[in-house]
Amino acid sequence: MSATRRRPSGSAAMVTVAVLAAVGALLFIGLRGDPPPQTRGQLAHQIASGLRCPVCQDLSAADSPAPIARQMRVQIDEKLAKGETAAEIRDGFIAAYGNSVLMTPPRHGLASVAYGFPLGALGLAGLVAALLLRRSLRRPMSDETELIRTEGR
Amino acid sequence: MSTAQRRLFLLAGVTALVLALAGFLATGVGKDHSIVASPLVGKQAPDFHLQGLDGSAASAVGLSDLRGQVVVLNFWASWCTECRIEQAVLDQTWQRFRDSGVVVLGVNFQDAPGDALDYVAAAGSTYPVVADTDSTTALAYGLRGVPETFVIDQAGQIVERVIGPVNAERLSSRISTLLAGGSR
Repeated sequence: MSATRRRPSGSAAMVTVAVLAAVGALLFIGLRGDPPPQTRGQLAHQIASGLRCPVCQDLSAADSPAPIARQMRVQIDEKLAKGETAAEIRDGFIAAYGNSVLMTPPRHGLASVAYGFPLGALGLAGLVAALLLRRSLRRPMSDETELIRTEGR
Repeated sequence: MSTAQRRLFLLAGVTALVLALAGFLATGVGKDHSIVASPLVGKQAPDFHLQGLDGSAASAVGLSDLRGQVVVLNFWASWCTECRIEQAVLDQTWQRFRDSGVVVLGVNFQDAPGDALDYVAAAGSTYPVVADTDSTTALAYGLRGVPETFVIDQAGQIVERVIGPVNAERLSSRISTLLAGGSR
């Protein structure tokens, strides 16, 4: 009996392509970032959103109704009016509170692992997926073993 | 390479990766104490000029005016239960060291003026108290809640930050060391 030529790894190839697409989409979303603020108010809000309200749990200075968070927003606006940059304002709060005042870890030092590890894991997943895809495409179009097993039944 | 060998290598690789990650977390991240410690310790205390609870100019206190003295700066609020625990300790410290070049200064935080005045009257505290009405001083000191106490040496440098109620013995020991000319 002649063997039907089919691709036994077709579903694996589809999964691999889907994984690669997902990895690409996640990398795109993760690296895209926010659009730049247009006004001083937007910049103040962006800075406050990146700073933790010190007396709250997991609330940014932009979102918290606590008086100290309100004062943080006032200070941010005042400092922007004086000509301080966003980085200088953030550094001022870090000087008093340390890096824990930041809603997201800094991109340098030990905390950078928080950024590097997921990206590394995504890259590794993409690499594995690419290798699997390459392997599945190189496989012979028929599977003799499968056919012999089918004929024996 | 056989399938069994490949599986063995894979298992060894995954195990090594997990162990490396665990080791990194245990030694690297675990040693980063900046999350809980104040970055201000060892640095010059932020200056301030705050009015007393009554709002009068006569009761205002500036930190720079206290240079040359040891300052025990205590952030508190009338709604803070733990603040009541340390109230007596702070007052005893003030009474014991006030003639030796030590100032205990209460800084009222996020409070209604009337409540703060009632609290001071009821507690019978005798050391000076000022009001940080807009939390500017609290932000400058990296305050995360009350009570928090900063010990500032004669040169205006923060030598200790205490989160929660102060310990009488530890505070007295620290002050005695500073008065004797030591810093730690």
